[in-house]
Amino acid sequence: MHPIAEKATQIRRTIVEMANRTKSPHVGSCLSCADILATLYFNELRLDPWEERDICILSKGHAAMALYSTLAARGILTDKDILGYYQNGGTLPAHLDRCKGKGVEVSSGSLGHGFNMGLGIAYGFKKQQSGRRVFAVVGDGESQEGSIWEGALFAPKLGLDNFTVIIDRNNLQGYGRPTEICSCEPMREKWEAFGWNACEVNGHDHDALKFALARESHGRPKVIIANTFKGKGVSFMEDQLVWHYFIVTDEHLKTAMEELA
Amino acid sequence: MRNNFINTIIEACGSRDDIFIISGDAGLGVFDQFKEEYPDRFLNLGVAEQNMISFAAGLSITGYKVVLYNIIPFVLYRCFEQVRNDICYQDLPLVLTGIGSGVTYAPMGMTHYSVEDIGIARTLPNLTVISPIDPVEARAAARFALDAKAPVYVRLAKRGEPDVHRQELADLTKPQLLAEGSEVALICHGSIIDEVLRAREELEREGVRPMVVSLPMLQPLDQEALLRLLAPVKRVVCVEEHYASCGLGNILAELKAEHEPGWKLKRLGIPPHFIHEVRDTQGMRKEFGISAGAIAEAVRRHRGE
Repeated sequence: MHPIAEKATQIRRTIVEMANRTKSPHVGSCLSCADILATLYFNELRLDPWEERDICILSKGHAAMALYSTLAARGILTDKDILGYYQNGGTLPAHLDRCKGKGVEVSSGSLGHGFNMGLGIAYGFKKQQSGRRVFAVVGDGESQEGSIWEGALFAPKLGLDNFTVIIDRNNLQGYGRPTEICSCEPMREKWEAFGWNACEVNGHDHDALKFALARESHGRPKVIIANTFKGKGVSFMEDQLVWHYFIVTDEHLKTAMEELA
Repeated sequence: MRNNFINTIIEACGSRDDIFIISGDAGLGVFDQFKEEYPDRFLNLGVAEQNMISFAAGLSITGYKVVLYNIIPFVLYRCFEQVRNDICYQDLPLVLTGIGSGVTYAPMGMTHYSVEDIGIARTLPNLTVISPIDPVEARAAARFALDAKAPVYVRLAKRGEPDVHRQELADLTKPQLLAEGSEVALICHGSIIDEVLRAREELEREGVRPMVVSLPMLQPLDQEALLRLLAPVKRVVCVEEHYASCGLGNILAELKAEHEPGWKLKRLGIPPHFIHEVRDTQGMRKEFGISAGAIAEAVRRHRGE
């Protein structure tokens, strides 16, 4: 198995277990970005020394379980942290809190915040002439937020070639398909028109993601439109709207874990 | 006030290289000198307030002392959730500078008035709220904000207000005694001080000498110092260019409910309504009963009650 694929499976298993144990929603949203996070944390991000690390922001903060699982797989969060997720008196909330959990770089959960904070961080790093980079994972539903486009308009002017946004385009938001509710398509052309270095990849193909992340940005901020499926990796959840909110029962868990072996 | 506040920030830039100023297409001419001296430490983020606040929060995370400048609706209202989540929830030490307090910009229209900002800012934990009366308090606010380890909101009117204090403030966090008095205290924040002082002059001619207090720091409130200062008076008249229902008057009403001091409270301010009246600042103050004459009259009536 591809080494990143192995990590992605481990992350998916943790996500489904957490969702089952705590009866928390958004499991589909988490599974859709598991490959993106696995590629970032196990190939792209420079995390050593920690004080000089690259910053990864999960702007679609409702997929917190995906980030927690990735941070645990990378050894940044502990098993104890994971066990305290979404518990009374526990460790980690269901939307990201910068004060809760090592490696949670910004608080998010309300959409259209993390992306813009990421731009500010990238600008600060540029000013300080540090080589640190910033990556932000944004949802396609989240892309309906006006703040995303405010930031998209402004970033190229600042020459933020140390900033990459990865759009988890699973084409399912909370209550339907973004392309039917309020479409941001054609997405790639829009970002290009705003002055970004844009490309489109299969968001479940680790090599394709690696290649896209490594691409020269030519002095511009970069956007990677990652085509994904909500619920990816668990057949009965794949591309199913209900898995934005559905709870993973013990029966679901059993089947899912068999598939994620 | 505005120029004194900004100039204090700019002066500090000489000895600190971490200060960064962000405006949202506001303050024409205010930053000309700064941009010339420190071209790398200023950004105009355009007419896009959500991005402005989140971006500023991100820049703050990298260690910059970010000073944000805009008119109050574009610092607190348009982008409230960004201020709440990105700045206050994350407890980042940004300086939010809001211009055009109360009806400073009358008759520009309701969209440009800030008559509920104290009420809104007070809902945000971690946020220090400062409303200076004059250039001296504005300078103290700038110094405090630059040293603060948490977010600070500074509410300013415009430029050109005269000095009230004769010397630099010893401690901005305390209520400031501006005139000694007994029986009645007039307490206020912000640029309405000129009406308050003229009201006192009027009353003084009649032999009434109310104590005059300014309260630049509204949150956190030094309750103990305020209660101690007001202990000798029987009546407190609160004056503010802000909705009477959710500003300093409200703070004092809470204080009264919790501590049951010996004084009665009268709150003067703008009645909570959307302002359709077309008047200048003076005209608005008259209309809403916060002009010098109206304040003096309120003191007379309140004393008789």
